Amino acid sequence: MFNKEINFNKAFKPVLIGFAVFMAIGIIFSIIFGVNLSIDFKGGTRISYSYSGDIKLSDVDALTEKTISEKVDVTESAGLTSGSKKLVITLAGNKALSNELQQKLDDALVKAYPDNNIDFSESNSVDGSVAGGFFARAMAAVILTGVLVLLYVGIRFRKIGGVSAALTAFVALFLDIFVAFFTAVIFRLQVDMTFLAVILTILGYSLNDTIVVYDRIRENKGIYPDATTAELVNTSLNIVKIRTILTTITTFLAVVMIIVVAEVFGLTSLRSFAIPMAVGLISGCISSLFISAPLWVIWKNNSDKKVKSGSKKARSK
Amino acid sequence: MKAKKTGKWVFFAVFAIILALTLTAFLGVDNYYGDTRNVYLKGANDIRWGIDIRGGVEAVFTPDIKADKITADDMSAAKSIIETRLVGNNITDYEVFVENEKHQIIVRFPWSSDQTDYDPAAEVAKLGETAVLSFCQGTAKSTVLVEGKYVENASAQYDAAQGGWYIALKFDTTGTSKFAEATRNNVGSTISIWMDDAMLSAPTVNSVIANGEAVITGQFTAEEANELANQINAGSLPFGLTVDDSKMQIVSPTLGSDALMVMVIAAACAFVVICLLMIIRYCLLGAVAAIALLGQVGGMIACISGYFPGTESFTLTIPGIAGIILSIGVGVDANIIAAERIREEFSKGKTIDGAIASGYKNSLSAIIDGNMTIVIVSLILMGSFGAENNILTTILSPLMNLFGTTITGSIYSFGYTLLVGTIFNLIIGVFASRLMVKSISRLKVFRKPALYGGKKNV
Repeated sequence: MFNKEINFNKAFKPVLIGFAVFMAIGIIFSIIFGVNLSIDFKGGTRISYSYSGDIKLSDVDALTEKTISEKVDVTESAGLTSGSKKLVITLAGNKALSNELQQKLDDALVKAYPDNNIDFSESNSVDGSVAGGFFARAMAAVILTGVLVLLYVGIRFRKIGGVSAALTAFVALFLDIFVAFFTAVIFRLQVDMTFLAVILTILGYSLNDTIVVYDRIRENKGIYPDATTAELVNTSLNIVKIRTILTTITTFLAVVMIIVVAEVFGLTSLRSFAIPMAVGLISGCISSLFISAPLWVIWKNNSDKKVKSGSKKARSK
Repeated sequence: MKAKKTGKWVFFAVFAIILALTLTAFLGVDNYYGDTRNVYLKGANDIRWGIDIRGGVEAVFTPDIKADKITADDMSAAKSIIETRLVGNNITDYEVFVENEKHQIIVRFPWSSDQTDYDPAAEVAKLGETAVLSFCQGTAKSTVLVEGKYVENASAQYDAAQGGWYIALKFDTTGTSKFAEATRNNVGSTISIWMDDAMLSAPTVNSVIANGEAVITGQFTAEEANELANQINAGSLPFGLTVDDSKMQIVSPTLGSDALMVMVIAAACAFVVICLLMIIRYCLLGAVAAIALLGQVGGMIACISGYFPGTESFTLTIPGIAGIILSIGVGVDANIIAAERIREEFSKGKTIDGAIASGYKNSLSAIIDGNMTIVIVSLILMGSFGAENNILTTILSPLMNLFGTTITGSIYSFGYTLLVGTIFNLIIGVFASRLMVKSISRLKVFRKPALYGGKKNV
């Protein structure tokens, strides 16, 4: 697979359609099932029960979700001085649990754990821990980062027209963000702070992949000054693809290890970290090879055409 | 090629340094004198894990003023000050929830019951302090001359001449003129500096201070000075917060109790698999990459645990681990790029020395550019979401504060591990790898192109 010559410019459209199909599925899923935002973002309700003895938290989690048909997080806590134990069930969303459901949950827990003296202790509704200002600040940070990366790439890659290269790289990054987001939606995973870190990781990865590609194009431009943009990009991509695929495989394997070990131990909470990360890494690999540089070829050819028709003279190379 | 050659011993020296760094970073260096543990170098065990991985302490704060005077705005202001204080102390993982009906602020921060060198009750009490800084006439707290809210920035500094730590304060414009007036009216007498109801120092005013700069001296340790500076920078709470000690709870890891073990096992498996993959594809270059990877992981652990003297330990959370994964990925990538390049050079018919030299030379620009963009990303993340006591945040604050003053520990922690990891990648993954390969390639046993990906399978 490494030595086969791929025509990346030709593959651009089918791959783009592939991304579009994935997004369409993602949009359908988000309309039907909604996006599973965590308590960090939209606040929620915390219900606590006192108990004694030992209880397996993942069982309580499953039982609660079955009883009230809502996604919940279950943690346990013990008094620092008193040592009395509590179960804390957290559910995201601003609707408080109705008395009826609350009663149903109480009964289900008492019935499931008759020997643990389960007793309802309190219910709190809390605001989201992420302040409203977070998103404005996050957007500002994203834009600032974008501008600085654009500047850096623009200067370092001026030989091949760095600004256009950076802009097409951003298109690939946007696709990766959407892929990671829709992966979370399709797998019904919680979107929380951890998920944001996943998105950032994928961005970093994909950006690095794309830079490596442009680096080769920049170098080859010096070696083959007469090649067309399409040839230049295709040759460079074919050399770089081995490295991009291998790098992605190594990190992908690391993330797969997390998924496997977590599932072996029945730790489902790591899914919202590891699954979008694994899918996003693959997306970053594909988008940096098949989307950003081929899109840059289209951009270049279009702007060259404009220059030509503008000056009515064929530019000599 | 008779140009200056890397000595054969260099490989062993670099390898030994990496091994020593990694071993001590993981194990730490300590001894027991009776029951007291003296830590010389902090190891992986001294890392403070986030609530998501190892659980923590939960405290419920209630304002110490009448319920009808509490507004939702004050509650959220109090929340953001608590967050700033936590991040200022390098606790980047926390959950702070506001309950507006019962007027409670629920704070969770990481702590584990086996952590003996840290008193959660004291930390919680400190979080709830109003922290009003005031400058008063004489040595009584009766007449406040200047309020601490006019302090723009506070920093802990070391007085090399006299020894000991002090806190340097810089007033904003209003504060500067108020302070100048206060000193003008009190030349020759005393102005005392108070934090809530504790007097920090009571210096005598020698002359008018018009430049808006003041210092708080006292018998401070480095830690106390830093803590105080953080507290001043974080600002004061709109009301005091009380906490019922008996209601403080120890909470289980939010990701489940096995989270830490799962991450450790996964990391170990991933490390082995990546090393195997590298060695299978790149033989000797892969083996060197594996050593470099080890060093990179060790270096990152060192930066998180507070191994280097003068650095504080950092809370490691799942987002922080995401940062580690990304930087390790980029680190492995640097080795892959270089190894692929060397392979390419061989296919052009170069000798071992020639292929290695031009392989590293030609791969450098891709690695540097890739790493630099990631450094940009991590710096902006740290600057945008960190507490106000680091230099990055200070640089970015005029811009970022236009968008509200939220700080978000988890993103800051991601940026930190990413930055540290990338720096180690540049040092070890790029520089040390190259030294090791150049040196090892001079040993007779290793003078076969096949060991570097030459000849077969091009």
